[in-house]
Amino acid sequence: MTPKRTIRALVAAAGLLATPLVALPALAQFPDKPVEMTVLFGGTANSIAQVLATEMGKSLGKPVVPVSRPGGGGAVGYSYVADTRPDGYNIVWNSNSINTAYHTGKIAFDYQKFAPIAMVSSEVPALAVKAGRGWASLDDLKAAVEKMPGKLKVGISGKGSFTQLVSAALFDAMGIGDKIAYISYGDGKAPVELMAGRIDAAVQWPGQYKSYVDSGQLDVLAVTGKKRVALLPEAKTAIEQGYDVDITMWRGLAAPKGTPPEVVKALQEAAQKATEDPAFEKAAKTLGFEISYEDSAAFGKEIAKDDAFYAKLLGHLGLKQQ
Amino acid sequence: MDHFLTALQMALTPYAIGAVGLGTIIGLIFGSIPGLTFTVALALALPVTFGMDTVPAIALLLGTYIGGMTGGSVSAILLGIPGTPSAAATVLDGYPMTKQGRASIALGTAVIVSTVGGIFSLIVMIVSVNLVSKVAIDFGPAEIFALVLFGMSTICGLSSGSLMKGLIAGVLGLLIMTVGIDKIDGDNRMTFGSVNLLQGVNLLVAMIGLFAVPFIIDTFLQHRHGGLEAPATGSLKANLPSFGLMWRNAWLMARCAAIGTGIGAIPGTGGAIAAFLAYSHARRFSKTPERFGRGAIEGVIAPETANNAVTGGTLIPLLSLGVPGDPATAIVLAGLMIHGITPGPALFMTSETTVYAIYIAVVVAYVFILVFQLLGIRLFVYVLKIPQQLLAVIILVLCVIGAYTVRNSAFDVYSMGVIGVLAWGLVRAGIPITPVILGMVLGPTMESEYRTAMQLSGGHLNIFYTSPVAMFFLGLSALVVLMQATTSLRERASKRLESKNA
Repeated sequence: MTPKRTIRALVAAAGLLATPLVALPALAQFPDKPVEMTVLFGGTANSIAQVLATEMGKSLGKPVVPVSRPGGGGAVGYSYVADTRPDGYNIVWNSNSINTAYHTGKIAFDYQKFAPIAMVSSEVPALAVKAGRGWASLDDLKAAVEKMPGKLKVGISGKGSFTQLVSAALFDAMGIGDKIAYISYGDGKAPVELMAGRIDAAVQWPGQYKSYVDSGQLDVLAVTGKKRVALLPEAKTAIEQGYDVDITMWRGLAAPKGTPPEVVKALQEAAQKATEDPAFEKAAKTLGFEISYEDSAAFGKEIAKDDAFYAKLLGHLGLKQQ
Repeated sequence: MDHFLTALQMALTPYAIGAVGLGTIIGLIFGSIPGLTFTVALALALPVTFGMDTVPAIALLLGTYIGGMTGGSVSAILLGIPGTPSAAATVLDGYPMTKQGRASIALGTAVIVSTVGGIFSLIVMIVSVNLVSKVAIDFGPAEIFALVLFGMSTICGLSSGSLMKGLIAGVLGLLIMTVGIDKIDGDNRMTFGSVNLLQGVNLLVAMIGLFAVPFIIDTFLQHRHGGLEAPATGSLKANLPSFGLMWRNAWLMARCAAIGTGIGAIPGTGGAIAAFLAYSHARRFSKTPERFGRGAIEGVIAPETANNAVTGGTLIPLLSLGVPGDPATAIVLAGLMIHGITPGPALFMTSETTVYAIYIAVVVAYVFILVFQLLGIRLFVYVLKIPQQLLAVIILVLCVIGAYTVRNSAFDVYSMGVIGVLAWGLVRAGIPITPVILGMVLGPTMESEYRTAMQLSGGHLNIFYTSPVAMFFLGLSALVVLMQATTSLRERASKRLESKNA
């Protein structure tokens, strides 16, 4: 053996001896490699996921990598993550779409295939009309629709989309559910169509209206959550106006069922820290979502409650497949 | 003016200029390498911009966008494989030019006219953003449907041999795009119970398959039979197009830039439609239309001017209405939002300085493109010196990577393979590939706009014939089809006459 080789052998031996000392705590410590976060949609969902992943990576000590797996109304990404090993290294940036994708028949399994980690954010849809139509509240709109000979044309994001579910619930509560014609627009074009006067109202997200409200071209009649939205502080909730509608779109994190509780806990704590970070708070303001952290247990209850709610709503709309 | 000076200060810091430069290089690389697409480059660049200042962040994204748009022409011209759907029309004459040994002229022309188109559209945007966005608002579903149908009618000009074969190809493209969840009613179409088919066929994946796979298969087959042409060696010189050539085509460039800007300004359309419309416009109004498809320089000038003019055009609905025109601008929109810039009518009141800074960044991006690409031509043409069989292997690897990264889905790699083999079969059967990609680009827009129009009118077709704009474009489409039909009938008649005389 040449001296060089001897040294190398010694180093290797030392390394082997030292390995258990280093590796054992590392095994017990989650994570010891990057965590992959599957993102189901583009747009706001993707933007929030990018910021959240960066912040979570900082507190976990290993990067969290957002990987886009869009398509099928979330079906593609949910199916992918549900089939991965339940070790916490594959998590999904989920939303109410887990409930709607199941009930509309896009995926064969429901929310019980996942272990909830934490609820992170929520977004509240808003109902807008063109300024100058003399409609200042939901009651004004209701009165006008009741007198209308035809139907009210309402822009949504597509049949079975979250915006349509919200619209249906809201207009049913207002008692004008049968006088609505839904017009589907993808790609966030509904506010522009509203401006052009081709539709009478639109149910979309506050961020899409913000600029038009500032320039006085659109009026937001209602938001559908419990509380008002920071981005549109003037817009009243439906509840304030006497209509019992409380629907928000939540987003959160989930792992495949069977993920060890301590791993879920570690991820939950990282998510909580991320939501308290100033960078995340700034993103909430600019992207127009609310931070609504809930821990694993509370989040799990919320999803189960929502599942029953959407099953009923989709059944009512004739969109329920399973 | 104060705003403008502040914007100059913000946009011309070394940091911001560096960001534009970096973006342009990334865009050029992703755009010019077959298989890799600049939409993916933008998606990768987006999270990087979160930690940056507003202006450099936007500059990086816009640089990537514009670099990618021009870069797409490089592989379209050199290999006949478009780097982006917008460059698909450039293949028609750009690739024949390469085969004739005029690659560097085609590349140089593409860069110069791209810059002209881009700057033209930017000026239009600066001068008339309010006016144009008002006109763009008037384009509702019925009008956009008619416009896209007019785009479809360019198939007539693309199917050089037989109109029937062109139509077969176009319909195949339309058919492929119906796979997946339909966006309006949420129904599953042609998914056969497969979750993977629910996501549909991605346009970029299909494009990679359509153009790159036949190239790869053919190269391997020829290599096996020993019939592969030796790579062009020695005589590769980086000739640039002459000033005279540019000057002679100035009027064509102006018209195509106007087409591109106009199409770009209408949300939901995009670079590919503009490029095809410009190409068929150039061919129709050419004194020598028979040269098209055989290496006519006008066939490079028209689509390349138009697809870069789209970059300025799409900024109009993006900034003034908050509506992204295509997946690439949707990522730029996300970048704007995260930095607290909410596009829409109020943007020009609240963030005037940022808007000016964006304009300046676009100009800087074009300066970079001109420099990088003109210098790069010397390098690009060396690609032709690589033995074809080796090149095919490299392209194969890049395509697999590219198809996977679009949606991080192994399924997309398989779909690329299937579509590629299908495309190779089509080429064998003499069916042109370009109408397939045209059908794929236009199909989804055409369908959803038509159905939205029907929802709006309650199922009445009067939504089309009460709109002068829609009627105008429907009329144009009918005219194009009619003219094509009469020409081909006349050609057939004269052929019959010839055979009788013989």
